[in-house]
Amino acid sequence: MTLKNRLLATSAAILIAATGTVHANGHATHPLTGETLASDQTFTYRVGDESPSYDPGLVEDVDGADVVRDLFEGLMNQDAAGNLIPGVATGYTVSDDKLVYTFTLRDNAKWSNGDPVTAGDFVYAWRRAASPELASPYSWYIELMSIENASAVIAGDMDPSELGVTAIDDTTLEVRLSQPLPYFAQMVTHGTTFPVHQATVEAHGSDWMKPGNIVSNGAYVLTEFVPQERLVRERNPMYWNNDATILEKVVKLVVADENVALTRYLAGELDMTDVPAGQFPRLSTQYPNQAVSVPQACSYYYMFNLRDNAPAELQNPDVRKALSLAIDRDIIVDAVLAGGQKPAYTFTHWATAGFETPDIPMASMTQDARNAMAQELLAQAGYGSDNPLSIDLLYNTSEAHKSVALAVSQMWKQTLGVETTLSNQEWQTFLEARGTGDYAVARGGWCADYNEASTFLDLMQSESGYNDSKYLNPEVDALLAEAKTSNNPQPLYDRVEEFIAQDTPIIPIYHYAAVDMFAEDLKGWPTENFEQNWYSRNLYKVAE
Amino acid sequence: MFSFVARRLAVAIPTLLILIVVSFVLMYAAPGGPFNSERPLPPAVLANIEAKYGLDQPFWKQIVNYVASVVTQFDFGPSFQYKDRSVNDVIAQGFPVTLTYGFWSFVVAVTIGVSLGVAAAIKHNTWLDYLAVGISIGAQVLPNFVMAPILLLIFTLWLGWLPGGGWNGGQWPYLIMPVIALSTSYMASIARITRSSMLEVLNANFIRTARAKGLPMRRVIWKHAMKPAMLPVLSYLGPAFVGMITGSVIIDVFFSTGGIGQFFVNSAFNRDYSVIMGITILVGALTIFFNLVVDILYAWIDPKIRY
Amino acid sequence: MLPNPATVESVAEAMNMAEIKGRSLWADARQRFLHNKAAVVSLIILALVGAFALFGGLLAQYENDFVDFTLIGSNAYKGVPSLETSHYFGTDNSGRDLFARTVQGTGISLMVGIVGALVAVVVGTLYGATAGYFGGRVDGVMMRIVDVLMSIPFMFVLILMLVIFGRSIFMLFLGIGLISWLDMARIARGQTLTIKNKEFVEVAHATGVHPVKIILRHIVPNLLGIVIVYATLLVPNMIIFESFISFLGLGVQEPATSLGALINEGSSTMQYGYYWQIAFPLFFFVVTIFAFFFVGDGLRDALDPKDR
Repeated sequence: MTLKNRLLATSAAILIAATGTVHANGHATHPLTGETLASDQTFTYRVGDESPSYDPGLVEDVDGADVVRDLFEGLMNQDAAGNLIPGVATGYTVSDDKLVYTFTLRDNAKWSNGDPVTAGDFVYAWRRAASPELASPYSWYIELMSIENASAVIAGDMDPSELGVTAIDDTTLEVRLSQPLPYFAQMVTHGTTFPVHQATVEAHGSDWMKPGNIVSNGAYVLTEFVPQERLVRERNPMYWNNDATILEKVVKLVVADENVALTRYLAGELDMTDVPAGQFPRLSTQYPNQAVSVPQACSYYYMFNLRDNAPAELQNPDVRKALSLAIDRDIIVDAVLAGGQKPAYTFTHWATAGFETPDIPMASMTQDARNAMAQELLAQAGYGSDNPLSIDLLYNTSEAHKSVALAVSQMWKQTLGVETTLSNQEWQTFLEARGTGDYAVARGGWCADYNEASTFLDLMQSESGYNDSKYLNPEVDALLAEAKTSNNPQPLYDRVEEFIAQDTPIIPIYHYAAVDMFAEDLKGWPTENFEQNWYSRNLYKVAE
Repeated sequence: MFSFVARRLAVAIPTLLILIVVSFVLMYAAPGGPFNSERPLPPAVLANIEAKYGLDQPFWKQIVNYVASVVTQFDFGPSFQYKDRSVNDVIAQGFPVTLTYGFWSFVVAVTIGVSLGVAAAIKHNTWLDYLAVGISIGAQVLPNFVMAPILLLIFTLWLGWLPGGGWNGGQWPYLIMPVIALSTSYMASIARITRSSMLEVLNANFIRTARAKGLPMRRVIWKHAMKPAMLPVLSYLGPAFVGMITGSVIIDVFFSTGGIGQFFVNSAFNRDYSVIMGITILVGALTIFFNLVVDILYAWIDPKIRY
Repeated sequence: MLPNPATVESVAEAMNMAEIKGRSLWADARQRFLHNKAAVVSLIILALVGAFALFGGLLAQYENDFVDFTLIGSNAYKGVPSLETSHYFGTDNSGRDLFARTVQGTGISLMVGIVGALVAVVVGTLYGATAGYFGGRVDGVMMRIVDVLMSIPFMFVLILMLVIFGRSIFMLFLGIGLISWLDMARIARGQTLTIKNKEFVEVAHATGVHPVKIILRHIVPNLLGIVIVYATLLVPNMIIFESFISFLGLGVQEPATSLGALINEGSSTMQYGYYWQIAFPLFFFVVTIFAFFFVGDGLRDALDPKDR
């Protein structure tokens, strides 16, 4: 703002204050809270890397999904606390056998070119997302939703038109499932299920998302996109609930280095950025209203390789348990990360909806007691100063993972005399090594697909594609199967967690927290939303 | 002269082919494919993706197809990582950015480097000389990944004079810090080379003769000394140019400029074969071209050289 | 990036002239070098840095991988350099003794620099001498190959290699060495062309000495002066190069470290006021490179009798 503008704005503010009317543009008040809004409603935030795609059918990462939620709107949305609220659909009904969902669409939803949003747009989008032709890496999501014939369509054995989704009429969408899925309605808040505009996609092919071509139905439209630099989205006047939108413009900047991003935040160029590991205590003292830490739906753990070809010494559960006990989680969360993360003794995140963290004996011990027990277990297993245990620890290249790995390897060394060889690999090499079992101990992180404990615990299932430890336990499998249909799965989840604590196929280390800096004038961030799903149309900036 | 250029071009083409084949084989041999992710993809999904990008075909066929489409249509194929963009899109967007700040860094490095070097040589063994040598060595040893955050702290955080990054179409406030960070070490090298070759030339007999004839120093420098003194500088410009393209990795990371360097490193880590190959080939072609230009200039300036 | 071939070539010319003057070349050179104060001081500094890398570990009170959990992460500000805690250079962001790590990092950086330069010089000299000695078609083919390799953006290929084959010190040596032998090969060839017409080579040739023996016994020793100069100027460039690789996260594996890796870590924490984390490694980095540059310049001047 130039000096002259600022003077004008100030005098306008005085005028308004004097007359008591609040009609001047940019000095409106928030309709619900009554706060005075800033005249510049631009929100600028930072991401670390460019997303692979912003096409609803192809989007695969969190940053991309944030953009897709602004540009497009699905059947249902989440409110600030993560509860389901109507989106394009005003509501839905479920058949008695829980296999057929019927969504009723609002008749005033429009695309940014003025076309109405119809049930047919959803049918087209879902078929497209599942089709081998698009070859979306997220087509498995359609399969995960248990939509009828999804697997056959993805495999190319059936035409996409056989997918179990039908437009009864323009405002009625019917979805048929192959098995009941309690959290199905939650799943339609994800970008993969958002509609796309058929005529635009067919007219422009893979260029349809470019600014100028794109037609979308969300609260914002894409106006500028420079890959690896910036993505700008601006208010969509055609959006059915446009009157409630306050932010005019949202700018996403790619800033690879988080320390640089923090510098730019402090210089006032960003309204939001991540807090680098270890910096939260200092920043929250210095900027108490800006540094925010809230639980995030991910767990950080180390996994043991339990395959036949893996190092023999780690096949002994006592050795694994000793290694788990010797890790002082409090040091890791309080000193290394220091961003409000919580020490983990269970795999399931403590804040998961409907989940009560069970009492794991280790959790209530003091670290000294844990260390003593660890030393005893390891001695019993035949390892000591004359026969030291040595293990390889694999993690993917990143400052934060390195700090944790260094701390853990030192805890093992100082408490148990275990020699650890650290090796870090690039992400792709790392995934390959972990997936094929070419490791002894490896880092893992798992984020919830939906807000329920089974999203974590299903990883312990013998057949799970994500069970990189290859932990095979029929009892755990039975418990998990039972939990799927149980009305009260909590006791079953408790048993699974006890198995994890006893057999130690993995070492839970901490439960994530989202640690961010927010500009003081930015309001409306859904800190209560466990999955961190935010919508720019709910954000606003207040006048300082 | 013409046959010299023709011969160099004849070498350039097989070089590019070798480059394409070597980088293709390297990427093919790499562990981890472009479509690995934290959640392994179901086999059916993976098969669809591989079919889409032609990765299900035998190795020889892939490489033949690739070379053919590059050579005949100048088409580097689709990006594996950025699902709705082609490699040509990525290059068309990132390369002009790198070229812009690379060009300005080049201009700054040559202008200041040569001036500093000549000044130091003329005022040999005076405070100006020592100052110039000190500055140039200091600038050379400070790695640019240290210089970049220092510049950011000073000009963005403390003084608030310059934006801390971004490109914005290459407006000058966004150019300043990238150009400083990228040009200093090359400026230093150029200054050092200029100084020593100028000193040598100034001691040569023909210059002494010119001075003895009573020609003013300024005229001697410009008319007689400059041309021969610039020869070693010229031969340094080829490597310097390549170095600046490589240096764009650091510039892009710190100043979020969205140039080719950032794309290259990300693609290497993500196994985005097609983008890596496209950028490698492009940079290879440019290296060849630039070395050629330098050689021609060299031949033009130095009549002693016969090809 | 690499020492400028043109200036190194001028040394070569000078060497040829010196050759004719007689055998006092090396004695003269030593004399001239010793008169260059900056070079002598730099040589002493280099010796000190070398001693620090070799024996500094004896002074360190901590292992280089020992983590002090009270000085880690958010408490890193407490890890200031202090004689009382025996953390002479303070601790790094992970609570490790920066003195021990700087000692080790200096060692690795020097090793990468010296071994990398050695690989480049050995390969380049042998290749260039062979091409120059045989001449004709062999020379043509060998030098065309050098031309081809020179137009490959090696930094990019090295990044690919490190990503693909995993990082290791060996890979780093190999990659760095392979990049920098090309200039050496060109210079060595140019020299060989003039040496091979000298009487002693022709005599050896006439008496039926095996070409390999001629190259190794007669030609390579006569290239020594220029090789030394080139190698000395190459070392600091190798060290700078390694720091760039470390910046990309492709350097040596933890807990081993290099000056480049330490500087990179330090530069990311300097905005939080942990100035010592960058100051000490950067000091050793700068001093080492300065010293190598001055010694290289001194050697060049010493081996080049032309008055500057």
